[in-house]
Amino acid sequence: MAAAKSVKKVPQYCYQCVAGPDLLTVKVEDGVATEVEPNFSACDVHPGAGKCCVKAYGIIQKTYSPNRLLAPMKRTNPKKGRHEDPGFVPISWDEAFDIIGAKMKEIRARGLTNEYGYPRAAASFGGGGIPTYYMGTFPAFLAAWGPVDFSYGSGQGVSCTHSEHLYGELWHRAFTVCPDTPSCNYVLSFGANVEASGGVVGAWRHGVARERGMKRVQFEPHLSVTGAASAEWVPIKPKTDAAFLFGLVHVLVREMPREKLDVPFLKQHTGSPYLIGPNGFYLRDPATRKPLLWDLKRNAAVPFDTPDTDPALDGAFTLDAIEVGADEETWTHRGLAAETAFGKLVERMRPYTPEWAEQTCDVRSGTVRRIAAEYVEQARVGATVEIDGETLPYRPVSIQFGRTVNNGWGAYECCWARTLMACLVGGLEVPGGTLGTTVRLNRPATTRQASVRINEDGFMFYPMNPTDKANWAAKPKVRNAHDTMVPLSASSPWSTALGPTHFSWMFQKESPDENWPKVTPPDIWFCYRTNPSISFWDTKELSKRIAEFPFIVAFAYNRDETNHMADVLLPECTDIESTQLIRVGGSKFIEQFWDHEGFALRQPAVAPAGATRDFTEIATELAVRAGLLEQYNEAINRGSACVRLSSDQYDFSLDPKQRHDAQTIWDRTCRAASAELTEGRESDGLDWFKEHGLRTRPISRLSWYLFPELRKKGIRFEMPFQERLYRVGVELGHRLHEQGIKWWDVQLEEYGGLPKVMDFPGIWEQETVRQAGAGALADYPFWLITSRSMQYAWGSNVGVPLMNEVSGNVRGSKGVLINRRRAQELGIEEGDIVEVSSYVGATRGPAMLAEGIRADTLLMMGQFDHWATPYAKDLHKPSMNSLIPMSMALTDSTGSSADIVRVGVKKLEAAS
Amino acid sequence: MARFIMTVDLRRCIGCQTCTVACRHANATPPDVQWRKVLDIETGEFPDVRRSFVPTGCMHCGDPPCMHVCPSTATYQRADGIVDINYDLCIGCGYCAVACPYQARYISHKREFAYGDKPTAQEAARFDARRMNVATKCTFCSDRVDVAKEKGLTPGVDPEVTPACVNSCIAGVLAFGDREDANSNVSQLLAENQFFRMHEELGTDPGMYYIFDKK
Repeated sequence: MAAAKSVKKVPQYCYQCVAGPDLLTVKVEDGVATEVEPNFSACDVHPGAGKCCVKAYGIIQKTYSPNRLLAPMKRTNPKKGRHEDPGFVPISWDEAFDIIGAKMKEIRARGLTNEYGYPRAAASFGGGGIPTYYMGTFPAFLAAWGPVDFSYGSGQGVSCTHSEHLYGELWHRAFTVCPDTPSCNYVLSFGANVEASGGVVGAWRHGVARERGMKRVQFEPHLSVTGAASAEWVPIKPKTDAAFLFGLVHVLVREMPREKLDVPFLKQHTGSPYLIGPNGFYLRDPATRKPLLWDLKRNAAVPFDTPDTDPALDGAFTLDAIEVGADEETWTHRGLAAETAFGKLVERMRPYTPEWAEQTCDVRSGTVRRIAAEYVEQARVGATVEIDGETLPYRPVSIQFGRTVNNGWGAYECCWARTLMACLVGGLEVPGGTLGTTVRLNRPATTRQASVRINEDGFMFYPMNPTDKANWAAKPKVRNAHDTMVPLSASSPWSTALGPTHFSWMFQKESPDENWPKVTPPDIWFCYRTNPSISFWDTKELSKRIAEFPFIVAFAYNRDETNHMADVLLPECTDIESTQLIRVGGSKFIEQFWDHEGFALRQPAVAPAGATRDFTEIATELAVRAGLLEQYNEAINRGSACVRLSSDQYDFSLDPKQRHDAQTIWDRTCRAASAELTEGRESDGLDWFKEHGLRTRPISRLSWYLFPELRKKGIRFEMPFQERLYRVGVELGHRLHEQGIKWWDVQLEEYGGLPKVMDFPGIWEQETVRQAGAGALADYPFWLITSRSMQYAWGSNVGVPLMNEVSGNVRGSKGVLINRRRAQELGIEEGDIVEVSSYVGATRGPAMLAEGIRADTLLMMGQFDHWATPYAKDLHKPSMNSLIPMSMALTDSTGSSADIVRVGVKKLEAAS
Repeated sequence: MARFIMTVDLRRCIGCQTCTVACRHANATPPDVQWRKVLDIETGEFPDVRRSFVPTGCMHCGDPPCMHVCPSTATYQRADGIVDINYDLCIGCGYCAVACPYQARYISHKREFAYGDKPTAQEAARFDARRMNVATKCTFCSDRVDVAKEKGLTPGVDPEVTPACVNSCIAGVLAFGDREDANSNVSQLLAENQFFRMHEELGTDPGMYYIFDKK
């Protein structure tokens, strides 16, 4: 008689994308993982009913892939390059650590920074911090090491929702922005593809909202899955979203009766009433240097924080004041006639009529006015709601953005207009309205509220990188120079990745000018869950830069286009073979808003394959080999592995001098997590978490909204006028010009008090002509854009056949989407193999004809083009990454650009 | 007597494919055999275009044409409305696949694997030789429904006895339950909403109800 089958369901988390974590169980039968299911025990605390997204179901095939690396490998061919066979041969872990250890010691002996001041060690990880939740205690190793350059990007940051990250944090502690979906009734969505990028929680919340009648209008050049799930699709011309938004603002501030807006909110909770001087800075009280507003009660100019005022929103007033500009330049004014910031706004919006918008973005002026009217009507100005005893404005309207709208030229203007539109109806950071999710640049990062403090002008403090003469970083600390060039990128652990991460690659090839500190490759580069050789722009050129790196350590699940250049490959355990604890709950990224907070565990459901090792064990050994065990343990004690191990209520610290195995480290971490959640009362460890999977406690929904914190502290939203940005921009210009740097001058023009809409598509067109000649726009008549795939986004899962199979059910995932009529004009039929080319490169794939795309636009969903990754390299899918330049001209002042390029298309072969 | 049906809220579906992969896992179907498939359908002409996601599969018809054409009586209808296949009786003739207006049936003549010619550990562990050369299709996870009574659980409410696709759905599109029970979740949904059934004009009495708006 056969033995009874052993069956268990092992709780896990999935963090293959930033919209996680999802909570799941893996069914294990006789030691073999067979099924993924939602963790049903989490349905009462998880805001997506405890479900897990399609990607989570790929981890079993990933685990059992025959293409996995099952032993460490070393390179035997010293030559590096795409066309060089690395000659990888398997080695023991000891030999691998011997090689890496010797290199680390050699580097540390030479000094942690090189002759140009750049860190000798660099590390790159995939987007959104995802790899952190699979790399165990490796962050503690990096913390122990000292300076590490994280500025070699793989496409995240600069081609992500970059402007939102930076300006969002400045204006409302919003690293990402989303509607208060559970209570929002009307959403204007510009290219946001939340049904693909919002994960389980996004899908769940929006599904519920649609059913109850929330209306979403989707603006995008092609009809995405989110467009499909929206009430209305507006096929806007690529990169003209700012024009449409400015058209909306024009209607609200110039065509609508003022009482339709939330005037009390604008007066008391924004910088609208601040008075503006002739040099473009706030008019200030000469005694206190505080910005002035005009108090209608006193009929006099008073500092902004004067109690019991009725600030004037519009009008010109005569007053004495000073104006403080860049580098403390000061002007004294007597009897000056000055306008409010709001008055300046109304004037600035004069040219941006709906008729003007129609000419720019190919959407009828009547649509602009109708949507403006719907937005204001749905905002329910004056309504309130009570949450946990606090009465708050209720404004169920919101605006959200997706990639390409949200990065590169034009994105700043979009972000500004979006934030302003929320302020005009009092809908920023209030129930129903437009919310931030989390902070990554401001500190402390524990909650958004904790990071809020007032500055001298009555707005939120923001940790700009200094631009004053004494403190500006004339010499960059890292290769992408974010601290030198991008004041908004701040200086948190995330800041480097939010700088212009293409600059590291560009400058390594060619310095921007002869005086720039030479960018040389790092002496050692660690990479994990990242593949810039195919995922960033101008991938052919970028691969050459990687090949110049002298020593690469790749934590590798399988071979790929980046670790093709590696010196040592270290195979780590997959998602369901290793242990890690993650924070869950609160609010975080995209649509992650919970009514709980706590921790969830990832644990071995099956035995590690081959000689693969738990990442924590690898990190510990690296720390030992580098002679950094004590510093490494201390970093874990400080919280590098999820949670601080001690407080005044508990102490589960590791002995820093001793080596600890992964189980001990995670047991201590679990105990500290239990204690943190129970204020020291409980200390359940790893065994408890293995059994239960997660531990949470309820939190107040008030934590979703920032407005209560600002109201409590008397802080205003910094809208509409951007005096601070203007000052920083002028100062940055001074500093750069003092160094003789002129190549950032165009970007400096973006800094101003009130933004203007430029011909943003024209920036790409002009660069195309500049690079490819006068007739280039005829050769490249289409805009190429991309769209998110839930099956793949962020997942590092292109080698999983199940994902390829089901993504094939989604239109456009396998080829090049083209407008049906336009295709017919070009003699292209469904399935024909077409070549799409830009002035940078070419790619090919099957044509897919559709009505839901503009005639001037092509779409490629996947960013593939693999040539080394097993399985994926045989899919022969097209990729836009080969066609997009890395270009200074296409880089905006935040250091980002966008996944968009002018291309041509031609038929190569008829469909078979 | 019970009549198990499924409701599909088209307002919520986003074509994410989670139900498809959950079914592939739960039922161990081979590559490209998607008992629960979600169609991505475009209608209209630019710029007046609609794109819809429509989960499909066996409709567990009240009057199933596949059953009527089955020469071996392998396809049968259970008392609770679920249309199932007795693999021991099926001769793989394919009449049922032709007769089904919903293209819900598959026949695998060759073992297929995710990675080339060898099964993964998962595929090896879940292989069921009885499924070769016979018709297969969605069973409404009848193996789960079958244990509901003994465990005192309710299909469509308790995950353990609910079809995998319904359990997995991340947008609350799918619901499962007893149409004959006026208090069941599906009966409530149908009482509150407008719906249609696919190819109802063929007289198949399909058991998947597509909700598209409130009443």
